[in-house]
Amino acid sequence: MIQPNEFDIDTEKGNFHFDTNYAFNAGVGLNEEVVRYISDVKQEEKWILDFRLKAYQTFLKKPVPTHWATEDLNNIDFDVIRYYLAKGQQPSRSWEDVPEDIKNTFERLGIPEQERKFLAGVEAQFDSEAAYSRMKDDLEKEGVLFVGSTEGLSDYPEIFKKWFGKVIPTSDNKFSALNSAVFSGGSFIYIPPGVKLTQPLQAYFRINAENFGQFERTLIIADEGAEVTYMEGCTAPKFETSTLHSAVVELVALKGAKIQYVTVQNWSNNVFNLVTKRAIAEEEAEVRWIDCNIGSRLTMKYPGVILRGRKARGEVLSIALANDGQHQDTGAKMIHAAEETSSNIIAKSISIGKGRSSYRGLVKMPKHLKNCKNNTECDALLINSDSQTDTYPAISVQGDGNSVQHEATVSKVSAEQIFYMKQRGLSEPEAMSLCVNGFVNDLIREFPMEYSVELKRLIDLEMEGSVG
Amino acid sequence: MQTINKPSLSSLFDDQNLFSSFVEERSWEPGWCADFRMENWNHFESLQSSNVKDENWRFSPKSRFSLSEVNQLNSDVDLLSLSSNTHSKSRFQDLNKMILDFPSEISNIIDLKGPCLGALSNYHLTSALFDNGFFLNTVSGNESREVFTVRHKLPSSGSISFRKNVLTLCPFSEITLIEFIESDHDSNSGNLSSILHAEIGEGAKLNRILIQDAKTIATLHQFENFVIGKNANVTNTTIHLGSSECRTEIKGNLMEEGAEFENFSLFLGCGKQLFDQRTMQFHAAPNCRSNLISKNALNDKSKSVFSGMIKVLPSASNTNAYQTNRNLLLSNEAQADSLPGLEILANEVKCSHGATTSKIDEQELFYLRSRGIPQKSAENLIALGFLDEILAMVKDEELNESIRHKIESRFNNL
Repeated sequence: MIQPNEFDIDTEKGNFHFDTNYAFNAGVGLNEEVVRYISDVKQEEKWILDFRLKAYQTFLKKPVPTHWATEDLNNIDFDVIRYYLAKGQQPSRSWEDVPEDIKNTFERLGIPEQERKFLAGVEAQFDSEAAYSRMKDDLEKEGVLFVGSTEGLSDYPEIFKKWFGKVIPTSDNKFSALNSAVFSGGSFIYIPPGVKLTQPLQAYFRINAENFGQFERTLIIADEGAEVTYMEGCTAPKFETSTLHSAVVELVALKGAKIQYVTVQNWSNNVFNLVTKRAIAEEEAEVRWIDCNIGSRLTMKYPGVILRGRKARGEVLSIALANDGQHQDTGAKMIHAAEETSSNIIAKSISIGKGRSSYRGLVKMPKHLKNCKNNTECDALLINSDSQTDTYPAISVQGDGNSVQHEATVSKVSAEQIFYMKQRGLSEPEAMSLCVNGFVNDLIREFPMEYSVELKRLIDLEMEGSVG
Repeated sequence: MQTINKPSLSSLFDDQNLFSSFVEERSWEPGWCADFRMENWNHFESLQSSNVKDENWRFSPKSRFSLSEVNQLNSDVDLLSLSSNTHSKSRFQDLNKMILDFPSEISNIIDLKGPCLGALSNYHLTSALFDNGFFLNTVSGNESREVFTVRHKLPSSGSISFRKNVLTLCPFSEITLIEFIESDHDSNSGNLSSILHAEIGEGAKLNRILIQDAKTIATLHQFENFVIGKNANVTNTTIHLGSSECRTEIKGNLMEEGAEFENFSLFLGCGKQLFDQRTMQFHAAPNCRSNLISKNALNDKSKSVFSGMIKVLPSASNTNAYQTNRNLLLSNEAQADSLPGLEILANEVKCSHGATTSKIDEQELFYLRSRGIPQKSAENLIALGFLDEILAMVKDEELNESIRHKIESRFNNL
């Protein structure tokens, strides 16, 4: 069994659970039969099954990467995880079709209001399959595709097959191989040339069965000159034993396209969140990953951009908050593969209590390139005396006129600042919270408005009881 | 004994007879010394069979350090020469003499720790086969002007020498130690693997300078471990100009309150030279300070790897630790890899690191060119200015001048 975490998990967070009858259930554990079963249920074409089976073999061959990553990975028992669960239903087209019990769960997540207010399209993932999926008519008229992974591969192979598994090869790492073998759910999005979406696309998903891993697969293609912002946020109910979440997200920004991908990750404190995210940016394209990690037991996530076309630009903005029993191992990868490309990484982390946050980065500029630029800043804030922070960047530079700068600082909230605010009538936790919010403020401003409000509140919640 | 079938390894060290005949030649050594060698030899052999991917060798072409060209050991005593500027009361001798004449002073320090930053197999090999080294033990309250000089000459080409050097500074002593690694003439271009154990007592002060100017076909391993006591201070300046490939591992252990460690290094790369530097600033006690500056200027196809870690234990509150890596690319094919790292487990700390890599600033170049300085000279001038921060650490004028001269002549030969 998975070793229970030595710390009590936060029982307040997402503490609700509705019984669901799982019509399709692949049982517990992973073997070739399970992979075949998933593919069968989804009535997939043979090439997808072959892709899954090959990935499964790769998964078996790859070692758990504890030679550089934390030993905590050894606590994942792949034999007690459920790899596929679904309601046995097609994604619903209208809100009325969504089953009542699932609606209840979403009600608590606040989706309907958001939908009515401003969302262009909502892809809400309940467990493995998209339970609710609807797009505004005007999006459809523009030719934007916003579908689930199964639908994407079966209905629009001419669009998605070309890039599926190309940005992140199956063999990239053990967990991308696992995802490739058992993926279900996620979003496949295509934005036609020149279409600029003014409102963000949004997907909510959550885990709802104990010991159940969620392996969604997302592929976003922005054709020439297109622009899109995609938002992903998650919350999970409380569990007694650990859960595995291992997603693969691939972004393709063709010439002049812009993609902004926003994540707020707030899994409960027993989830292993091992995600592979990577983008390809063609000529003059721009990809921005905005990433905020607050929940989970262990998150390992290094969003990357392969800058493949001239003047492409990549950016990662990341906030990590690690509380008791949490390890946020996040970072960024910038692979410069064309001239005059530029990249920017700003990572801020906060460690509270016994929390540990790590930054891992990779910046690469090979020798045939000219005039590439990278800027990396990592700042870490330590709140308590047993908090921990690490920084492990890797920078490899050759070539003509390439320049790289990397800077990292570690500090704590100064006693003077706290004293100043206490003098003016704030309690110590309030003062601390204010300092922490100030520390991440310039990054939070980059988030879409509704997220930044939520984030500030989440940080306040996490800070509660950490001082004094 | 297990068989070793890694083709990258030298057949010389595959041979169990090598070790037994080496020990036989040194049958005059006391039993504990032979035991120590045996232990390390066994360690070395056990490491050969493991083949795990090692983060400590990231970015480094490990095969270049495999010593596969080596065909014999060279333990010529003339390769090591010691001198000092005063008739010091400190004990300053070669290690062979110490083992022979004062075994009791050596037996308890023979197994001092190394830096352990990755090249473990070579570290154990060196510990098993060291043929000499210097031993320096200061007396307290000495004159601060005491300067000790050690010259490590490289052995003839195709052979290798192993050194173990032990430096102990007793409380409140103050010295300067200058080490040279050099090739006297063309035939002196073999390989050297050398360990320095430095134990710095309370309030003591060490200023150590290493100038490495080996011929560019030599393979070098340099292990340096400084254990720094209460209110003691170590300034370590290493200047690497030569060798084909050089791997250095430097660890500063700040073990007691108020300890200070400063580590400065400079590498000037030409041709296909490779400089692989691994450092660790290890903070185990409160109120300590460490600073590191590593500067690499890279011409032609040369390559540098800088991997530096600042580790702060929970016990080390009020730590100030800084680390800076600056790389100047002087050609399109030069390569600079940086792995600056932090592992912080205490919260009362001020830590930062910075790493930059770039080519010469066009504006600076334009400024010099507009004043009539030819392109090449202007570039050299800027590169020299870039390295000046480290050169300034060599306070002795004569020595400083001779290093500058060496650097300039290297630039002129490009």
